[in-house]
Amino acid sequence: MSVFSELRRLAEVPRNERLAAAARAGRPVIGHFCSYVPEELLHAAGAVPYRMRAVGSCGTALGDTYFSSANCSFVRRVMDQGLRGELDFLDGIVFMNGCDHNRRLYDNWRHAAPDTGFSYLLFVPHAGSPACLAQLRLELVKLAGFLGERLGVEVTDDRLRASIELYDRRRRLLRELAELRRAPAPPVTGTEFLALMLAVTAVPPEDAVDLIERALGEARAGRAPVGTPRLRIFVTGSCLEELSHLELVESHGALVVADAICLGARTFDRDVGADGDPLDALARRYLGRVSCPRMMDDVKGRMAYTLEAVRAYAADAVILEKLEFCSMMSGENYIATHELAKAGIPALALTRELYGGEVGQLKTRLQAFYEKLGNRS
Amino acid sequence: MIFAGIDVGSLTAKAVLLRDGRVIAWHVEPVQATPAQSAGRVLEAALAKARVRRADLARVCATGYGRHELPFADLERSEISCHGLGTFTSNPAVRSVIDIGGQDCKVVVLDAAGLVDDFAMNDKCAAGTGRTLELLARTLGLPLGELGPRALRSRRALPVSNKCSIFMELDVMQWMHQGRRVEDIARGITASVARRVAALAGKVTLRPGVCISGGVSKNAAVVRELEAALGVRFVPLSHDPQVMGALGAACFARLEHGRARQEDRRVQEAGDPSEPMAAGPADAAPACPGCTGGSP
Ligand code: SF4
Repeated sequence: MSVFSELRRLAEVPRNERLAAAARAGRPVIGHFCSYVPEELLHAAGAVPYRMRAVGSCGTALGDTYFSSANCSFVRRVMDQGLRGELDFLDGIVFMNGCDHNRRLYDNWRHAAPDTGFSYLLFVPHAGSPACLAQLRLELVKLAGFLGERLGVEVTDDRLRASIELYDRRRRLLRELAELRRAPAPPVTGTEFLALMLAVTAVPPEDAVDLIERALGEARAGRAPVGTPRLRIFVTGSCLEELSHLELVESHGALVVADAICLGARTFDRDVGADGDPLDALARRYLGRVSCPRMMDDVKGRMAYTLEAVRAYAADAVILEKLEFCSMMSGENYIATHELAKAGIPALALTRELYGGEVGQLKTRLQAFYEKLGNRS
Repeated sequence: MIFAGIDVGSLTAKAVLLRDGRVIAWHVEPVQATPAQSAGRVLEAALAKARVRRADLARVCATGYGRHELPFADLERSEISCHGLGTFTSNPAVRSVIDIGGQDCKVVVLDAAGLVDDFAMNDKCAAGTGRTLELLARTLGLPLGELGPRALRSRRALPVSNKCSIFMELDVMQWMHQGRRVEDIARGITASVARRVAALAGKVTLRPGVCISGGVSKNAAVVRELEAALGVRFVPLSHDPQVMGALGAACFARLEHGRARQEDRRVQEAGDPSEPMAAGPADAAPACPGCTGGSP
């Protein structure tokens, strides 16, 4: 069986047998929101980090008792899952001040207290200045102390270095696979790559490395699931985890060849490195990798990343993905749309609800956009 | 050679038949339970009007929300492209299209060949669409066709929200309870829908040569309010504005046919080494020359 089928299966369920096996072996499973939470710290404290997602969510009915309908559907769905007891396999959650919606999720979680172990809020500064770096290091010291105490495993420098090495390896392998997508007939589709990202952030990192190596093996063996696409697409945005949505994007001969999303480049861009103080190195990597719109001082850096990736991956167009009411992406999309227009790169901004319907409208938009690109070629 | 375009929307289905670039028949009727049923009915009705058989059709193109579900369609195109090419075919001066359909509203900017250059489309809220007009006409106790004429008789629009159809309905009910003139409420409704559509149009840069299509273009009050809001006079269309999507689809069927034939020719020529490869303008797909035929 192709490893891509296994990855798809792992991506489509909120929890899996590998996670369960790790838990049986006595490793706590700790959920974390956002690509700014250093998984290395959680791992060094003996835990299996689990990237939070709304996979398998059945709606927002319970979540809506805590959130208004003007909150993004990601936090509403996750809250709903928590209240239904669907996340009880977690032994704790590290929240983060990624955006106001996430911040309120932490407040509501503490108030509703689902049976998901501890709730910790990691504060990550919104800029990359030396003062912000120093502050993030301080916050990481606090988190390491908290985890050490809660989980009974002291986060020593040696443990942290070993975890960094493992996660750097995972990042390198992911980058290698991503790089192969530059080929005229890429070895993985965007949907497959997203499934892989969902899978490898929901299993112990040791298993993740093995899965990615197998995927790389298949990719290098000359795999080309859709041949040469008619259109090559770069995707950017915030919370994006629906495989069905990427399938829609990859219709009418279009293929996603690269991205700058949380479950994508933001996770594997740039290594931490083994040199020096590991907490310094972590702070530098997390504030230095391709940023997300929550970072207030790096719009230029993000645009430069997009323009370079569009060139390197020979993308024909950019799709800007936003969840309804995501204030981060609203501002970002406005700027990006103008900057891309200046650079002569066609772009389409899509707004959707996580696992929401509106398939007809999204299809029409995408199809019209692709037809427009086709008219120009 | 006859080409068919079928547009299955949320409220109505439309079919247009083209022969030699001229419209020979068209038909509109309310949708049935499934897109395939709706499409089958309108197509048969159009064929009957033109006195031709299905077997006479060279190619069929589908558009509209039901476009993916028509087993007999040879190709499908988005409503956005079809409304663009349909209106352009109907009047070559068209460069911008405001299309207000049953459940969505689109603004399309065209290039000099009638193909899409830019577009904007409403989000899932239906506040600027035909569905809202239908709902509010019912609230007012008017047949849909009466809403526009009554609004035109008003001298003062009563304020009606344009945030969402439910808020609009609340405003309408409040005016009704206060016993205000139906004409003034109707005008408030049409003005509100027009404001909503004008806001959407603000997302793209309209090019001169603006037309209006879709079922709501039949509401003279919305048209008047929208012209005022946008500061334009809509250019006329040679056919019923409601069938522009189906007309565009028929044009795409024709274009695709031309393209496929050229491809066949190219393959044949490439297979014969004595023949040089044809290239250049003669090989380009023919643009739909537009049609001059009147509606039956
Ligand atoms: S989608 Fe936007 S608003 Fe929602 S959690 Fe993500 S960043 Fe925050």
